[in-house]
Amino acid sequence: MNEVKGRLPYKCPSCESELKVSKLHCKECGTDVVGNYELPLLARLPEKDQRFILEFVKTSGSLKDMSQKMELSYPSVRNRLDDLIEKLINMEELL
Amino acid sequence: MKTNWGILFFRPFEKIAGRRALFWGILGLLVSILLSFWSGYHYHGLLHYGAAPNDALWVYVVEHLVIWLVPALLFLLGGLMLSKSKVRALDVMGTTVFALLPMLGMNLFNFLPPMQKLLVMDVADLVNPESAPPMTDLLVMLLGTVFTVWMLIWLFNALKVSCNLKGTKLVLWYIFAVVAGDVVCRFIISWFYSL
Repeated sequence: MNEVKGRLPYKCPSCESELKVSKLHCKECGTDVVGNYELPLLARLPEKDQRFILEFVKTSGSLKDMSQKMELSYPSVRNRLDDLIEKLINMEELL
Repeated sequence: MKTNWGILFFRPFEKIAGRRALFWGILGLLVSILLSFWSGYHYHGLLHYGAAPNDALWVYVVEHLVIWLVPALLFLLGGLMLSKSKVRALDVMGTTVFALLPMLGMNLFNFLPPMQKLLVMDVADLVNPESAPPMTDLLVMLLGTVFTVWMLIWLFNALKVSCNLKGTKLVLWYIFAVVAGDVVCRFIISWFYSL
């Protein structure tokens, strides 16, 4: 049977607050690390935004290539990137 | 591939902008100049059309250039002043001229007999019960405004996408650009009529 890969939740499903990492587990030896860790900034973004950043890096930051790949106009892709930059700046300020 | 009619009819600039939009827009503008010339309908402003004192082809060319460039320059000005994004003049010019494409529908509509009758009518004839056009003709005239509304929707999206404006900034600048643009267009075009 295929293993179902769940998406990493970045917000509490109950109260919408940001989640923190409290436990890490080694699949090889079964060691558990328990603590209070922050999720990296990029991991806090919705999956759609993370995918966008990944594609952006893979196209060497070329908005033109991105627009061809996503079948969107150049300004649509640029607007999405600008909105994402603004979102990241706001998230950084909250840290 | 599934066709997204919403994007096709109302938000084309999610898919097309820049050079491609400029090319198709200018091509549409050229066709619109010829159709207007043959139908006798002039664009006095962005939202006004009808008969004019000068029916030379160059007048139609000037009218079309004015109703493209005036709103495009106002959009560009808004983008440069209000947007946080880097606004490209090519996108603003391209999307604005593409947004005028519904005018082609309006131009074809202007060949219909009720629209041709309207062209030679005075405002007094329209309000006079004896000379007023029948209800069916008025309905046809009213239907023609659908193309103007469609053009206004595309112009709104042209500003939104090419300048990355949102919310109040977008709505207020759009209203200003359309209203002030119409006034400026009318002023410039009427000056050309007097030449």
